[in-house]
Amino acid sequence: MSNRANVGGWLKGKTVRKGGITSNAHTARSSTPQVQSTSSTLFSGGVKDASGRTTEYFSMDDQCPVCKSDRYLNPKLRLLVSSCYHKMCESCIDRLFTLGPAPCPICQKVLRKLAFTPQTFEDLTVEKEVAVRRRIAKEFNKRREDFFDLRSYNDYLEEVEDITFNLINDVNIAQTEARILAHRRENAALIELNSQREEQYAQALKEQEELERQEKEQRALELRREQEIEREERETAQREIIDRLETSTKSAAKVIAKSRAEAMKRSSARSTTTTVLRSNAQLLRARAAQSTVIPDPPHVPLQDDWYAYEDLYTIRDQYDDMYSDAVRKDREGIMRAGGYRVEEAWDRALRCAVAGLDLLPLPGLNPSPGRTDSFVTSA
Amino acid sequence: MAADNAAKEADPQTNSSTVKRPLYEGSTQYKSWRYSPEQLEQIRTSLNVAAVSVIRNTFEADEPGSSEDVLFLNANEEQLLVKLYITKIPQLCGHFRFPEEVEATAISYLKRFYLKNTVMDWHPKNVMLTTLFLATKTTNNPISLESYTSNIPKTSSSDVLDLEFLVSQSLNFEFAVWHAHRALWGIWLDLQSLPDVSEDLRPQDVYDIAIKHVRASRFTDAELIYTPSQIALASLALASPVLAERWADSKAVAGAAQPFSATLDPTLGSIKYIITQMGHPPDVEAVREVDRRLKLCKNPEKVPGSKAYLARQVAEQQRAEEKRNKKAEDVRRAVTEGGDPFGSELNEDEKAKQLAELDEDDD
Repeated sequence: MSNRANVGGWLKGKTVRKGGITSNAHTARSSTPQVQSTSSTLFSGGVKDASGRTTEYFSMDDQCPVCKSDRYLNPKLRLLVSSCYHKMCESCIDRLFTLGPAPCPICQKVLRKLAFTPQTFEDLTVEKEVAVRRRIAKEFNKRREDFFDLRSYNDYLEEVEDITFNLINDVNIAQTEARILAHRRENAALIELNSQREEQYAQALKEQEELERQEKEQRALELRREQEIEREERETAQREIIDRLETSTKSAAKVIAKSRAEAMKRSSARSTTTTVLRSNAQLLRARAAQSTVIPDPPHVPLQDDWYAYEDLYTIRDQYDDMYSDAVRKDREGIMRAGGYRVEEAWDRALRCAVAGLDLLPLPGLNPSPGRTDSFVTSA
Repeated sequence: MAADNAAKEADPQTNSSTVKRPLYEGSTQYKSWRYSPEQLEQIRTSLNVAAVSVIRNTFEADEPGSSEDVLFLNANEEQLLVKLYITKIPQLCGHFRFPEEVEATAISYLKRFYLKNTVMDWHPKNVMLTTLFLATKTTNNPISLESYTSNIPKTSSSDVLDLEFLVSQSLNFEFAVWHAHRALWGIWLDLQSLPDVSEDLRPQDVYDIAIKHVRASRFTDAELIYTPSQIALASLALASPVLAERWADSKAVAGAAQPFSATLDPTLGSIKYIITQMGHPPDVEAVREVDRRLKLCKNPEKVPGSKAYLARQVAEQQRAEEKRNKKAEDVRRAVTEGGDPFGSELNEDEKAKQLAELDEDDD
């Protein structure tokens, strides 16, 4: 806060500001955006997002735990995070650490001014965890294929998780660091190999993305050009019509018809020449349209082995029925649930009326189970 | 007729590949809730006798000699009490304005419940409330328990809910019931397709009388013996024999020996007899007498607070405790004995071989 001129620079040696390197302190301060990403000023230790798209964490009721200033008096307040995961505002950092390393006011761990990064996550424990995991992932990058069987892979994963847990929750840090070191020494070659492989993969992905983006751009360009051409042609056609109407002696209708035919010819000619510029989607569609028509067999209702007494009654379209009067007269369908059809209710009633009509009641004390005597078979 | 067609298809001589079973024969009402009158009587008496002996033993265990002078109910008296509560269901449904299906379903549930349990164990009052509530749910006309119990005086929600699982279990979880009133509606609609029946031959009051008979039939055992279509036809025959005969004849298959109505006559006759003789509410005085005696011969095990009930509870808890311990023991054994808690892979050796053969080098 004391020396304004240094504000832009003290955060980092290699500041890359969007407004140019020679921006003065005032604008440098104002260009410290509150919502925009400042990930270009980050350095390792904090959570860095390489693509620069994540925004810094921001909340209206931020307060510096050391000096208790908040955004009310100081709208450009910015809280940075130390390597021991404590938050402080820039002015406090400046005050405490300008003269060299000093103990953190909260936990007394000795810190340098460089060790402060902007915050990405609302919750600092999350921030710490993400940083730890990122570090571990760089070292412990073995994959399933590097192991003989699933059991040893799972054991490896469990050990990795164990180490991560210890680091995050400050459990046995010295011992854990020793374990990490031991692992690194043992598997140096394999780690190297795997990291290279990952790099290559990331590279390939990026290249593919680039390619696609370029293609899209090109297509957009072509489309725009085409539209231009069309527009011009339409204008000229219109002008021609007007001219011809002025000059020629034929009837107006015939003139317009003739010019329209010409316009059609022109557009069809154009469309055949611009086949090259079809996008992938259009290509697919064209191919599908050209291919054989998919057969559409008529719907076959469910076939099962149940006899539903269909031959015993015929359902009519209309019945004089007092139960369904209200529902049928209801024009707007207020009373009906979706999918309700009176015909189905009638059908059910009719089926009920003839179901089992000829079943004899069970006779005697111990009729054989499953006996279905009906009148006809027994008579 | 219909079954004849089905039977024909089953005839091996015709070499037909599909045997179609009539739809009604797939229903649980046909499969498990269909009895003959003799069977019904036997079930009820045997149930009653067994219950009496069990309760007698409980009495004796409690206080030897106390059961000598207790007059237990017999099957007919139980029947009477159940019938009274069956007649209360339509009153309740009218109060709540439930559709007829709810009423019919609840009555069916109550009847079936007392084919598996005895009145001395479970008093029909709460069972009736539970069956009605259950019926509203199974017929897709649900109401909340709150509004149900608040509309019936002196009922709490536990009265209804405590018995719900027991009722469902006694029904064997078979909740779908085919009803005679729907069959009657179907017959009424179908009458309009008959060519020789004109509008004035089927006045509305014929239907009203017929539906009254159907409602009376619900107080009887008719639905446990006959199919709903038969009951409906019998009710119509009581209201208008001519219409019933015409309709039944139209359903006959060509080439039958006699008109269909004649073949159905014995069945319809017995149903008509049942409806007219037993289709009215029981005598209130007699029922009151039965109820008074019931208070004395109730099964003490089911009465919360009595000695037998508490003893039963203790026994149950002990059994549950044993089960829990056994389970804990099993789990402990599985964990401590080692081995992969996720189980082993099926073909471990093959997998290992495949992995060893994988060559990831770029050369």
